[in-house]
Amino acid sequence: MLNYTLRRLMAVIPTILILIVACFFLMRLAPGGPFTSERPLPPAVMKNVLERYGLDEPLYVQLWTYLKNIVLHFDFGPSFAQKDRSVNDLIAQGFPVTLTYGFFSAIFVLAIGIPLGVVAALRHNSFWDYVMTGLAIFSQIFPNFVLAPIMVLLFTLSWGLLPGGGWNGGQWPYVIMPAVALGTSYMASVARLTRGSLLETLSAPYIRTARAKGLPEHTVLIRHALKPALLPVISYMGPVFVYMITGSVFIDIFFSTGGIGQNFIDAAYTRDYAVILGLAILYSVLTFVLLLLVDLIYAWIDPKVRSDMS
Amino acid sequence: MKKTTFALALTFTTALSSTAFAADVPTGTKLAADQTYTYRILDEFASLDPQLNEGVAGSVVLRDLFEGLYNQDSEGNNVPGVATHHDVSADNMTYTFHLRQDAKWSDGKPVTAHDFVYGWKRAVDPALASPYAWYMELMSVKNGAEIISGEKTPDDLGVSATDDYTFVVNLTQPLPYFAEMVTHTTTFPAPKWAVEAHGDSWIRPGNMVGNGAYTLTEHVLKERSTRVRNPNYWDNENTVLDTVVALVIGDDAQGLTRYRAGELDKTDIPAGQYPALKDEFPAEAIAVPRLCNYYFSYNLASGPEAFQDVRVRKALALALDRNVIVDQVLQGGQFPAYNFTPSATAGFDVPEIDYAGLSQAERDAMAVELLAEAGYGKGGKPLAFKYLYNTSEAHQSVAIVATQMWKQKLGIEVTLENQEWKVFLENRGNQNFEMARGAWCGDYNEASTFLDLLVSSSGYNDAKFSNARVDELMAMAKSSQDAGPLYTEVEQILSQEMPVIPVYHYSANMMLKDNVMGWPVKNVQQQTYSKDLFKVAK
Repeated sequence: MLNYTLRRLMAVIPTILILIVACFFLMRLAPGGPFTSERPLPPAVMKNVLERYGLDEPLYVQLWTYLKNIVLHFDFGPSFAQKDRSVNDLIAQGFPVTLTYGFFSAIFVLAIGIPLGVVAALRHNSFWDYVMTGLAIFSQIFPNFVLAPIMVLLFTLSWGLLPGGGWNGGQWPYVIMPAVALGTSYMASVARLTRGSLLETLSAPYIRTARAKGLPEHTVLIRHALKPALLPVISYMGPVFVYMITGSVFIDIFFSTGGIGQNFIDAAYTRDYAVILGLAILYSVLTFVLLLLVDLIYAWIDPKVRSDMS
Repeated sequence: MKKTTFALALTFTTALSSTAFAADVPTGTKLAADQTYTYRILDEFASLDPQLNEGVAGSVVLRDLFEGLYNQDSEGNNVPGVATHHDVSADNMTYTFHLRQDAKWSDGKPVTAHDFVYGWKRAVDPALASPYAWYMELMSVKNGAEIISGEKTPDDLGVSATDDYTFVVNLTQPLPYFAEMVTHTTTFPAPKWAVEAHGDSWIRPGNMVGNGAYTLTEHVLKERSTRVRNPNYWDNENTVLDTVVALVIGDDAQGLTRYRAGELDKTDIPAGQYPALKDEFPAEAIAVPRLCNYYFSYNLASGPEAFQDVRVRKALALALDRNVIVDQVLQGGQFPAYNFTPSATAGFDVPEIDYAGLSQAERDAMAVELLAEAGYGKGGKPLAFKYLYNTSEAHQSVAIVATQMWKQKLGIEVTLENQEWKVFLENRGNQNFEMARGAWCGDYNEASTFLDLLVSSSGYNDAKFSNARVDELMAMAKSSQDAGPLYTEVEQILSQEMPVIPVYHYSANMMLKDNVMGWPVKNVQQQTYSKDLFKVAK
C-alpha cells in the first residue's frame, strides 16, 4: 500500500511539469498580454513594465526562471493584475475561504444525500421514496446559478435571516448559502446513487445470509450493506470534492466570498500568466491527491481492491 | 526688497477657496449614531500604492488614504489639500506649491515637500515601472520622459523642495491646466521610510503610512477593505464618517439586491434599470454627468475604401438616432453626443455643430443625399463593413440598434463582431478592424484630455486620423491662456471630417441611500472624498 501511494505521488511530478509547459505556451498564444489596456502604454513605459516582470526575456528563459523559483523558493511569481501581490499571497488568502465553504458543502452533500438515499431505498416505492426522488429532481433542475439568487431573495430580502453575501472572516451566517448553493445538485446525485446502490446491495445473497443468521436489521444495514453500497458514492465524490474545494467561479462572484475560484477567471481575462499557472498547478496537485485519497478509501472499504494494490 | 518686487512681477499667486474642506454639515443637522458608509465596487483594486494605481475604484480609496497637493470640491474645483496655494512663474513653466504646516502622516510625522519630491520621482522611476508613469510625462514635468526611457535618473526630475513646506515643479512647456492635474493619485506624496521598511508590502494594513483622512485597517482581497478615521489628519475635526467599507461584488444584480437588503449605502444601477428604480426610489436613484464619451471609430488607415470618403463618414454619423440609443436602449440618463468633448468638461463651451441643430428627419435626409453623392447605398454601390465591439450587453445593444438604423435608412450591411476584451484591444490598437467602439474618460477636467486623442501622434488615435490643423491647434492650446476658441475650432474640424462618430456622453448611475449627504453630484469626474460625506439620522 505504501509503495502504491509513493508510486502514485512520484507520477505527479512529470505530469505537473508537462502541464506547466503546456499552460505556459498556451497562455502566450492568446491575443493580448497582461499589460494590454484601453490606454496603450507608451513604449518606454511598456518596456519598464515588461522588464520588471521579466517578460522581456526569451520565453525559454522565462520558463526556466519560473520553474527554478518554484523548486528553490516555492515562489509562484508576482501577480501582474494585483500589482503588489504575489501568486502565493493570492492563494494564501483565497484558498482557505474556498476550502472552508467547499468542506461544509461536501459535509452538506454527504450528511443530507446519504440519509435521503438510505431512506428512499429502505422505503422503496413508498411516499418517502417519491419525496426523495422529487427532491433530487428539484435540486438538479435548479443549478447553483438559479438556486443562489432564489436563496438570497428568500433568506436575505424576504426573511432577513442571512447576509446576502460576503465572507466576513468565515462567520457561519456567511458560509451557509455558498455551501448549500454549491452542494445542492451534488446532494441530489449522492441521494440517487446511494438509493440505487443500496437497493442492489440489499438484494445480494450475502445480505439474505446475514438476515438468516438472525443479525439485527441495523447491523445488516450499516455493517454489511451500506459500506459496499457507498463505493459508487465515493467514486463520485472524489472529483466533486476537488471541484468544491478548488472553488466555484459563480459562487465566488455571486456571494463575493473572496475565494480562489474567482481568481482563475479574473486571471484568464487579465492574462495574469503567473496566477493562471499557479492555480493550474494547485488544482492539479489537489486533483491528484484527492483522487489518490479516494483510491485509498476504496481499498480500505473493499479488500479486493486492497489486494490488487499490493 | 528689490528682489521681492522682482519676484512678484514674475509670478502670480493662485489662492484657493478657503471654505469648508471636509463634511459641510448644516447647523441643526441630526447626525446618525452609526457613521459607517458601505459601498460596492465591481473589481478588486489593482493596487493601493498611489504611484501604481490605475483604476477608478482604487483612486477613490487612495483619495481617502492619502492627500495630494489639491483636492476637488463638490463641483470639481480645486481646493486646498496639503498645498494651500501656489505661485506660477511669468513664463508658466515653474509652479511653486506652498504646503500647510499642520499636515501629518498617520504615524505622526509631518508631511513635507520632500515627501512629494520622493513620490513624484518614484512615479517615473523605471525600477518601480508604474504603468501610470506616462501621467508625469503628460504633465510635462521636466525630464519626466527622459527618466522613463532610461536616459536620465529619477534625481533629474524637475521637482524640488526649497524648504520643508515649498514644493517646486519645473515644466518643459507651459501647461495652463497643470494645477488641475495634481489631484490625480499618481502625484500623491509617498512616505519614504515606510516604503523602504516594507518594500512592496508597505501598503498592507498595519504597514501603510498615509496622510489622508482615513487609514486602512483591513484588506481582504476580492472581498472587502475597511478604512477608519485617521486621528492625525489635519482636518479630522471636521470629518464625520468614522468607517468606510468597500465590498467587492462582481455581479450588478447582486449588488442591487444587497443594497435593497440594507447591506450597502451605495451601488451601481444595472444596465437598463435606471427608469424603473427611479420610479421606485425617486430620492435614491441618481444619474449625474460624467467626464466620459462613447464613440464609433472608423479605421482610416486600413479600413474599407468607402471610409476615405468624408461623405460616407458623415452619412453614417447623421443617420444615427442618438436619442433612441440614449432614451430607449441605455435608459441611464446619458446625453446624446454630436461633438467629442462632453459638455460637462470644465471651461468647455459646446461649439455650434451644424448637424446637432437639425431634426433627426432632416439628418436622415441629408445622410441619404450624401451617401448617394458618394455613390453608395440604395441605388449605388453596395456598402458593407464589420463593426467590432467587446463583450458586453450594453455594447451589443448599441451595436444592434445602430446597425439596424444604417441598414433601414441607408441600405448598409454591417456585420457585428464581438470579441473578448483583450483580444478586442489588441485588434483595435493594431487597426485590425473596420469600425470599432471606443470610449474615453478624462484624466483631468479639461477638453484636451479628449481632443488629444485625435492628434496624429496620439497612441490612442485608433482611427489613425491625421489633420495638420488639428495637430497645430492642439499644440497651441498647450501654451494658450485661453484655449477655448482653439478647442472650438478642433471640434468643428472633427464634425466636418468625422473621423469618429460621437454617440453619447456618459452619466454615472447609482443608488445612494437618502441618509448619505455630501455626495458631489456636480463633480463630473466623480472625485469623491469620504471626509466630505456624512450620514444623517432618520
